[in-house]
Amino acid sequence: MVELRDLHKSFGALEVLKGISLAAGEGQVISLIGSSGSGKSTLLRCINMLEIPDRGDVLIDGEPIRLKGEGARRQIADEAQIRHIRSELGMVFQSFNLWAHLTILQNVMEAPLTVQKRERAEVEAEARAMLDKVGIGDKADAYPAQLSGGQQQRAAIARALCINPRVMLFDEPTSALDPELEVEVLRVIKLLAEEGRTMILVTHDMEFARTVSDRVVFLHQGLVEEEGSPEAVFGATQSPRLRQFLNAAAHD
Amino acid sequence: MFDDIAFWLGYLTNGKHLAWYASFQFTIFAAVMGGLFAILFGLTGAMLKSSRFWPLRLLGTLYSSIVRGVPDVLFFLFFPLAFEQAVEWLVATQVCSPEMIAAQTAAWPPCGEANWYLDTPQYLMLASVSLGIVYGAFASNVIHGAMRSVPKGQLEAARAYGMSAAQVMWRIHIRQMWVYALPGLSNVWMLIIKATSLLSLLQIADIVLWADRLGAPNFLPTVGLVHDDWRWRYYLVLFVFYILATWVSERGFEALMRRAGRGILSEGRV
Repeated sequence: MVELRDLHKSFGALEVLKGISLAAGEGQVISLIGSSGSGKSTLLRCINMLEIPDRGDVLIDGEPIRLKGEGARRQIADEAQIRHIRSELGMVFQSFNLWAHLTILQNVMEAPLTVQKRERAEVEAEARAMLDKVGIGDKADAYPAQLSGGQQQRAAIARALCINPRVMLFDEPTSALDPELEVEVLRVIKLLAEEGRTMILVTHDMEFARTVSDRVVFLHQGLVEEEGSPEAVFGATQSPRLRQFLNAAAHD
Repeated sequence: MFDDIAFWLGYLTNGKHLAWYASFQFTIFAAVMGGLFAILFGLTGAMLKSSRFWPLRLLGTLYSSIVRGVPDVLFFLFFPLAFEQAVEWLVATQVCSPEMIAAQTAAWPPCGEANWYLDTPQYLMLASVSLGIVYGAFASNVIHGAMRSVPKGQLEAARAYGMSAAQVMWRIHIRQMWVYALPGLSNVWMLIIKATSLLSLLQIADIVLWADRLGAPNFLPTVGLVHDDWRWRYYLVLFVFYILATWVSERGFEALMRRAGRGILSEGRV
């Protein structure tokens, strides 16, 4: 469904991704873990081209995203293609990024109406259903700033769901939340995993990665250091670096 | 007593005074149109400044940095005349035959048929455009800064959901920009209001010109009232008008700010 081939990305002199390949099949939940600076967020952002890789390809359903140019000057070659692909990838950001000038309901309806050009009545019904699903149906007419962080992140998940995404991308969805608010968001993500949605998730929460993932990928200094089932990665850790990382994470 | 009131009412509603009252429309029109043009030029300038193509970027930067330095009085005189003659020159290249040019005695326009006669409505429009160009340069600076104040995440989310560059610009970027731009734009607006007192430079019989005429010393009993130099009295009325306009504008900007800031400015939890 999503396939990454040999992705490289540098920011100036700093090489963040040094050649990463990864594939997520239909219905799989993949967690990307690693210390900060390991490139996991950059990798996720390469999937919908919020960051454009200097080298390598991203394929969605076997269709490569067309890029032109070389290295740091690489850019999107086909605007229509990328817009279409993005309209089917539901991204959830660390800092929520709900549109501040729109109410929660308008936030959820925005992309289906303006990008997917679906019918308003149908979209509104679906948006309300999604808000109920994430447990904030009563906040439909509030503005994002009026909600707690946990509620905002659940609204952001509803926004991602309402575009009927083929893949959901989560970029550290709970990192900006207090622990007690984290729980409500994790519960929603877990529910989605159980529904069989395809998800790629950057997380620092090892316990959560263990329970929801089909596969865990540990990134270290821009490379895949270890990957496998949660049981293998967490239970029978091979890499000494991963062992060190897990130890440090456990002491947080 | 009653006679006095009747006299003053009669004096203040004589033809010249009515013409003075009516001329407030020119001032208000020039301010509103000038303001709209300033927003238009300001938005254009700001978009040029943040363009990906360097020639456009240069154009935007040149506009805001050069025009901001030009005195408004000077530009007010320069632009309408330059524009008028440019149009006449352009028309002349199309309509003037060599015979017509030979027959023309005046130095300008090249031939009589190319003459463009400007009256108050045309001058008013040119004045509004001049105001728009001069103050649009300030507005473009304000708007450019405001666009950069919109949090990057807001735009990134819009891109991530597949919005086109134009949709991101109009639905998110410009929509959220106002809240950061309005305080600066209200300053620009006050400057525009003040600059409307220059309309008489363009032969428009505006409130300042009429105040001048009405207040000038008058020794002919036939025109109504004999008085010496009363201009300061009439100017005082203009002061009151401008202060009122300021007050109304401030209320207006407060309302706009509330509207633009909905959801963005701090709100209580629900």
